[in-house]
Amino acid sequence: MRKVRKTSFTAVASVIVVSGALIITSMAQAKPPRSETQVAQERAALMTAVAKGDDLWHSAKLGNNGLACANCHPDGSASNVHTWPKFQTNLGKVGTLREMINWCIAVPMQGRILESDSEEMIAMEAYATFTHRGVAIAPAKDEQHGAVPVKSGPGYPRH
Amino acid sequence: MNKISRRQFLGMTTKAGAATMFAGIFAPSASSMLGLGGVAEAATKKIKPFTFAVLTDAHLYDIADHKFDHILEKAVADVNSIKPRPDFVLYAGDLGQSGKKAELVKGKKILDKLKMPYKIIPGEHDYYLDMGKAWRKLFGDEHWSFNHNGVHFIGMNSILVPDFWTLKKLTPKERMHMMEELECHNCGAWGVGEKQLNWLARDVRRVSPDTPVVIMTHSPLWDYYPRWNFQTYDAPEIREILRKFDKVISIHGHVHQVVYNEIDNMRSCGLLSTSWPWPYPPVELEYPHIIQRRADPGDFEDGLGGHDIALNADFDAIVHWREFSDLLPDNIKKGLKV
Ligand SMILES: [Fe+2]
Ligand SMILES: [Fe+2]
Repeated sequence: MRKVRKTSFTAVASVIVVSGALIITSMAQAKPPRSETQVAQERAALMTAVAKGDDLWHSAKLGNNGLACANCHPDGSASNVHTWPKFQTNLGKVGTLREMINWCIAVPMQGRILESDSEEMIAMEAYATFTHRGVAIAPAKDEQHGAVPVKSGPGYPRH
Repeated sequence: MNKISRRQFLGMTTKAGAATMFAGIFAPSASSMLGLGGVAEAATKKIKPFTFAVLTDAHLYDIADHKFDHILEKAVADVNSIKPRPDFVLYAGDLGQSGKKAELVKGKKILDKLKMPYKIIPGEHDYYLDMGKAWRKLFGDEHWSFNHNGVHFIGMNSILVPDFWTLKKLTPKERMHMMEELECHNCGAWGVGEKQLNWLARDVRRVSPDTPVVIMTHSPLWDYYPRWNFQTYDAPEIREILRKFDKVISIHGHVHQVVYNEIDNMRSCGLLSTSWPWPYPPVELEYPHIIQRRADPGDFEDGLGGHDIALNADFDAIVHWREFSDLLPDNIKKGLKV
């Protein structure tokens, strides 16, 4: 029992972020072993979701008044992805980032909300979270947080 | 006195030196510079006190009855209510959102309700659909200067980028759409460009150094966060041309937030929008105590508003961020002396 716990802890701790590039170190303890190709494919799938989320984040099509998420949240800033779930006044309850994204679509953007588990919503969450890679999880932290500083380009490897 | 200001006032500041003095930290009031053994002179020219107002970044959409229309209307009514009445209003760009003529026409209609004259410069959102054609037709020159009660006012177009669209064969709409994104990946850094730099040098050549100067641009004249074009690439050249003046007040739109900075003789104030507040970018500020509190996304007027700037005889300016809601820190609620 103790051995199992230790193993999973090591696996989590080995996901680290170095200067903007996501590097997943030794997955040797995962079962069954995944080939390098498999790992690369899985990573590519995530980045495809991030890119799709990026496009949606910057699209006025989710709303009905011309606004996009990026109007107020450039580079995913101030989405505070590391603070959820938390009590959010506008939601009136302890809610999730996805619920907040839907609140923003419905209220400031006057659009139609997304299914919580839809590909679109997961992509938006993937994008917002990726812009905060390396930021420590801080439940209920009540202060606006910038995303990871970006010098140029989309801020992540995009092809 | 700290090292930087002493060095500056001993006249040893070279252009290269000035560039490394990013966000200079000398004391903000003109009187504090007098303690340097007479090296610095206070402004000798007296001005006739007056107030002017500033609005910016309405981002009007070509959608009837849009919420941003009402916020601009509210800001115009607020400016009209200021007593004593401001002599004129300056508008710092981004009147429209997608550069459409209909947006600018709608904006002009609302701004024309101002009870005083106004001068305006373009922002990137006004410009990149037709390269400023509709804007110029409605509002005239993109850069200008005038004198008022002894103060020299300058307005310039700071959102000019090198051509990124011809080679890529982008349509005007595609070009505009790219510029609409704050994080535009391929648009490049903005500036005023050589033509306007030459104009500026000519414009101030015969203006005496003790003349108070106010310069308005859409983007900041300092490197705040280039990623979001919270910068003007040829700002160092602008600051150099204006370096001969005792004091220059720079006001800029585009940042949609309260922000303050000083470099050399220039004090910069970032302005509130009437559309949405931008978050503060992930950089450290020299004046972190001059920022607004976080806005409530459920209150569509939070973090928005207009401004009035009152100038006294000694060119002390009191800048009031007239925020509709209560997000200003206590230290600037009654205005900031710059
Ligand atoms: Fe703007
Ligand atoms: Fe702008």
